[in-house]
Formats: sequence, structure tokens, C-alpha cells
Amino acid sequence: MTSTPSSPAAFWEQTEAQLAETDPNIALEHDAFYSQPEWDVYRMRYDTTDGHRLFAWFSVPKSGGPFPALVRIPDYASVHDIIYTPLRHRAVVMNATHRGQRNSDALMQATYPGLLTEGIDHPHTYALLGAYADALRALDALATQNLAQISTVALTGAGLGAALALAAAARRPNVAAVAADTPMALGHPAALQPGLGYPLGELGDYLRAYPERREAVTETLSPLNPLRTAPSVSAPVLMSAGRFDRSLCPLPFAEELAVALPNCDFRVYDGAAEGGGHEHAVVRGAWLTEKLDLNA
Amino acid sequence: MATQADLVSFTTRVSCPDEFDSFWDNVLAELATIPLDARIGHDPFRSTDSAKVYQATYRSLDELEIFAWYSVPAVGDGPFPAVLILPGYKSEPALRRDWAAKGVASLAVAVRGKLPSSSTFNPGYPGLLTHGVEDRDTYGYKGVISDCVRGVDFLLSRPEIDPARIYCCGSSQGGGLTLITSALRPEIKAGVSGYPFLCCFPESMRMLRSYPYDELSCYARAYPDRAEQMLETLRYFDAVNFAPRIKCPMVVGIAMEDEVCPPETSYAAYRLLGGQRELWLFPNSGHGNAHEYPAREASWLQQRIGATPA
Repeated sequence: MTSTPSSPAAFWEQTEAQLAETDPNIALEHDAFYSQPEWDVYRMRYDTTDGHRLFAWFSVPKSGGPFPALVRIPDYASVHDIIYTPLRHRAVVMNATHRGQRNSDALMQATYPGLLTEGIDHPHTYALLGAYADALRALDALATQNLAQISTVALTGAGLGAALALAAAARRPNVAAVAADTPMALGHPAALQPGLGYPLGELGDYLRAYPERREAVTETLSPLNPLRTAPSVSAPVLMSAGRFDRSLCPLPFAEELAVALPNCDFRVYDGAAEGGGHEHAVVRGAWLTEKLDLNA
Repeated sequence: MATQADLVSFTTRVSCPDEFDSFWDNVLAELATIPLDARIGHDPFRSTDSAKVYQATYRSLDELEIFAWYSVPAVGDGPFPAVLILPGYKSEPALRRDWAAKGVASLAVAVRGKLPSSSTFNPGYPGLLTHGVEDRDTYGYKGVISDCVRGVDFLLSRPEIDPARIYCCGSSQGGGLTLITSALRPEIKAGVSGYPFLCCFPESMRMLRSYPYDELSCYARAYPDRAEQMLETLRYFDAVNFAPRIKCPMVVGIAMEDEVCPPETSYAAYRLLGGQRELWLFPNSGHGNAHEYPAREASWLQQRIGATPA
């Protein structure tokens, strides 16, 4: 189990040190069934901290290269599948998982809901902290695999995945762009306000059941506050939020985060946790195409 | 983007097999021989002043234990109306305490393959859509649909539920399963099917290159000699073949920019519905993300149920 200090700087230093001590030990297995005429699909596996071995779907265009890479950081759910994107024709696409998700669950099978509060009363036991190490490890694995030569790296994610993507971009300056949809407010006081829907509502349930643990919960989550790491994100960020979101990325938090990010294109839509829906998907696709220099 | 003209002009090659009814009659008969073994365990952590939340289990086809979130109004003794909530392909079953606050019980089913109903059947995502597709009796969706059918049995087994007021809803795979379950279980009084998956398999797998339908294309490419047999199996599981058998009021919601479930295929199921029907079109929306859909679904069902607004 990771021993985790609660100050943000110490948390990230310790996480980086543990990652540095862990050989990614990358394995790539070609998946003929899911490969397509235009790209090959691989089942990628690599090691992260605390003995976990992680899984990612990894696709490489059949011809050309070097390729830009799009890394989709996982959301708060058990399944993180291949997911189709038109960019797959011309970019390496990596759909990473965090510990506890399907195919990365040999040591711990996460539950949803459940993971958000598992061990939350102490920084040494909070299971979700490992997902932050796993987001960084995904980028390490991408950088060290030798199947495809990578030019530019962009990250995408929604909900928890967006929060993880922003945290990873703050630590890995080679990230060229981040498309973050409705980033989860985990670590920010807005996440602990009463009356939120799930997934953040799970934190409210926890505090209702254990009101005496509020201070401990706040301390555990403190290093994860996206506002703390936002100033270190040098890459341009496209961020979306839903005006009526009361479960994932409440608008006041999103507005605060957008200001804290040095280079953020912030879009607000008349939605809830789904953010901009189709309208933003179009915006995001064009934005990533430009950032990954795929227009040619 | 699909236009309304596209919806109307679309035709499917899917036809109903001669043995469709006997196949499903046999499945229902087999299910009736399996003890339901319904259990509930109170979950005080997730319960609120307005909702008593339970972790429920029951037995389904192959005697698999199926998990569901069962949420009951904390105020009143019932009998309560109930909504059966069916899950998307890869999403977790939703914990819907909002219905309890309106005086309505809800059962959100984790069909086999989903956590925590995956201990003995776990083909994965991707994987489920082609699992056992060589034969109608081995196809994974025979069990998945059975798990939804048994959800109705679970509700009927509960003394606090009004058996005359059971409703059903779901989106994506949950939308397809809402159509199918409503056809198989006349106890369902009305339903809302959002962005329905499992419609017009032969066309859906060719119209878009996105998952889950693309799993079928992968299968056909990997096993070209089995592709026709795959399509033959899928006729027994295609929502368009269940649609004429639905006699209760049913809404079908379609996102015109749906990149996962082609709008034309959802419309094909809609126009075959056997009972009162209502169509919701969302012009500038993609799969599962029409902003107004959740509130509209809740409002429509609430009107049917006659529930008290929260």
C-alpha cells in the first residue's frame, strides 16, 4: 500500500519516486480480432506502483509515422473500452486504465460506486490515490514503448479522467494538449457540499455516515485538488462544463479551475454532467485535430 | 446528421424468425422453473431520509445470481409503484434515489457480465456482443435479457410493490432492453427507451464504425464463414422483432447525431411498436447526451405513474 503524505508537493514527489523505482515492464500483444484494415490494435500491459499491472488498448495506424498520440485517461467506471475515434486512422490511440478497473484488477477489483470513498479517512489507505500514479504511468508507458514512434502527445478525459489528465499534464511537460470534459471536483471543497448526485454524492453519503471524519477526508483529498496543480499545466487546455452539473463538475468549481489554468479555452453548455454533449464533441474533435497537427 | 426523411425511408433486412415466439416462450418457461431466491440487504450508507437503499440479488437463467440496486421510499408503507431501470452496455447500474423521493421504488439491474454480477459470466466489454453468437441458445444476450425479465419477477415478489404499477426505462443498451423486456413482460405498464441499442443489427454494424456494433463487424471479418449464422442468431435478439409485441405505451428517444446507435435503426423499432407510442427527436444531440432527455424521461414516467413531484 502506498504511504501517502498529505501535502500536495510531498504527495507528488513520493508518487514520482515510487514510479521511478518501478520498471514499466511493457508487453504488447497484437489483437487480430479488433484490428482494422487501417490500424492495428494491441493489448498493452505495464507495471505501476504497489505491484499493480495495468491494461490499455493501444492502436497504431497501419502506415506512416511517426505519429501523434492521443491518450484517453479513464473515467470513474469499471469499463474502459477501445472506443472509436476518427483520429485513429492517423494517430496512435491509447486507452489506459487505472488499478481496479477491468483488466487491471488482479490485486484489487474496484467498485463503482465505492472506489471514491474506499479508505478515504486516511491518506495511507485511500485507494483512489493510486489512479493518479497510474495516469502518470500511462504516459511513461507510451514514452518507452518501442512499437510506434511518437511525435506529439495529447490527453483526453471526462469526469475523473479529466481531473487525472490535468494532473498528469502538470507533471509531464511533454504533453502538448489536454481536452478535459467536466473534470471531477475531487479534492476541491465543492465536492463535499451536501446534496450532490453521484458520483460526487458518494462523498456526501460518507460524511453523513461519518461526520466526525470530515477533517480527515479533507486532508486525504487535499493533494488532489485540481486548482493546486492547474498552474503547472503548461499545455493548452480545452475544458467543457455543464451549467447545471450537480454531480461531477459544479460550475463555480469549473470557472475557478479555468482561471487557474494558464492556457484554457473554457466552454460552458446548457447541460449537466454530460457537459457539451454532441456540440462539444464536434469542437473537441476539431481542436484535437489541430493540436495534433492532423489537418494535413 | 440523420434527417427525418432518412428515418422514414430506412428499411431493414431483419425479419422475424418463425420460431421467435416459441424460442422466447421456452426461455420464459425455463426461467419459471428457477427459484427466484430474492434477497435484499439494507445499505444504510447509501440510504437517505427519503430513500431506503438495498443491495438486492436474485437468480436468473443458469441460476446466476444477479445484483441490483433497490431503492424504496422511506416514507409510507406502500404499495409503491416501481421503475425497472435497465443498464447501458458498459455503464454501471445507476443508483436512482430520486425516484424514492417521489414515492416510487426503483430497481437498477446489473445484468450478467457487469460488476458485481460477473463472477461466473464475464465476457467483457468489448466481448459481450459476440459472446456465443454462433447459436441462439449460447448467445450471451439470452441471459442478459433473462436477467431483465427476472427483474420484473423480483419486483412482483416484493410486498411493498404495487404489481399493477411497474414501469421500465433505460438508455442505449438499456433502451433496447426496455423494448425487449416490455414485450416479454406484459406486467410493464409503460416504458421509455432512450437511444435504443440492439436494433437492426445487420444495418447498424455497417452504418457506423463505432463500438459496440463494430464488435459484430470484427467478428464477421475474423470468421467470414460464420457471419450469416451470426446474423441468424441476432434475429432472435433484435428489438425490432420485439417491438410489435409491446402493447403498453412506449416512448422512443432518438438523438439525430447518434454516433453509436444509428437513428434510423431506433426509428425502425419505434414504428413497429404494437401499442401507444411517442417519439422524441433530439436534433443536435449525440448518443446519450441530449440535455433535456433525463428530465423529460422522469416527467413522462411520473405522469404515467401519478407520482408525487419531489
